[in-house]
Amino acid sequence: MRALIIVVFAALGLGLAATAYALRGEPGFDSVRLGPWTTWPHLGGADIDPYERAAIASEGLAPMGVNEGLLFVARADDQGAPLDSRCAYRLAGTDLPARVWTLAAYRIDGRPQPNVADRYGLTSAGLLRSSSGDFVIEAAREARPGNWLPLGDDPNFFLALRLYQAGASTLSKAYEGLSLPTISREACS
Amino acid sequence: MKTREERIDRLVALVPWGFGLVFGVVAVHLITLLATPSLAPNSAYRRLAESLPLGEVRLLPRATPDNPGPPFSDPFAFLAACRFDLNEGPLRLRAQADGDHPLSVSVRLDNGAIIYSGSDAQTPHGRFNILIVTRAQADAIDESREDLDEAARASAEADELRLVAPSPKGFALFRLLALRQGEAEGIGAQRAGFECKEEKPPS
Repeated sequence: MRALIIVVFAALGLGLAATAYALRGEPGFDSVRLGPWTTWPHLGGADIDPYERAAIASEGLAPMGVNEGLLFVARADDQGAPLDSRCAYRLAGTDLPARVWTLAAYRIDGRPQPNVADRYGLTSAGLLRSSSGDFVIEAAREARPGNWLPLGDDPNFFLALRLYQAGASTLSKAYEGLSLPTISREACS
Repeated sequence: MKTREERIDRLVALVPWGFGLVFGVVAVHLITLLATPSLAPNSAYRRLAESLPLGEVRLLPRATPDNPGPPFSDPFAFLAACRFDLNEGPLRLRAQADGDHPLSVSVRLDNGAIIYSGSDAQTPHGRFNILIVTRAQADAIDESREDLDEAARASAEADELRLVAPSPKGFALFRLLALRQGEAEGIGAQRAGFECKEEKPPS
């Protein structure tokens, strides 16, 4: 009888711990990486897996539906170094296959990062580009000429790139030919 | 001193308990994982249910560093939510895009499953006219429309997208995007046109 009680309690404890562990960090197991960017192709669709569904419920998230847009998150630069707002970053890319896209910097808790400019992101509609459609965005705490994404004082942050009404090629979940902005670190203070 | 055979016998006796433990861990893990979407106290539906009456459109606070609204939302997106319980009757959603600012609508169940998402580019003239029903309500509506003549039926179904929800409770989310910083006021006026209305169940 004593052994049975021990097994039951151990199963409860370990089972709950396994669930808590599975719901930590990023949702599910089927993320797709494109350079420094990560996306979860099934998060907004009917084929979402139980781990992703449980993770978004426990975090209180309402992810975009697959026909609304696509979300890419970057927590590190092209070299794999974690993003740190004491450094400046240069994001370089070309037109993305979406009606509109937005880029924003977030604190680790998922809120926009407070900054001196009270601007929490930028959109493709307000972007300065070269004649070929290429763009460069400077993410830094201090104001920069051109496309400036203000960063806050909290060194830990991540970037979210959202492609609204993304083109058919991005909806294939294979992302063939999709070229997302590079993220290169510049000077650190 | 125990003999080698005795030690082996004791280990063998533990094997069924080991299998029982593994089975128990897996069962508890799977049950709690599958129950999380419906029971999570912080889920989007539960947080809306705390203060949002059924059938009412609520404009959610825009994402700022201090906002208590949905975590990890786009600072350029304006969200409005509407909660439904189809046991009270079908729900009609209406929204009209202005052609400039991307507008999308998604319909979600209380467990977080997205049963529909669409953008203004996919709807006729950027107009959303969505009727959310249960299977029984869909059958009753079809039956009631059988008596109508063709013109009346076409008028009733014009631009209507009918969604049969697999479970009765959930919420709809309207998402309107500002294109530039400082467009909040203009966007605010447009999102006031979102409509979410309980309809009389077909008799």
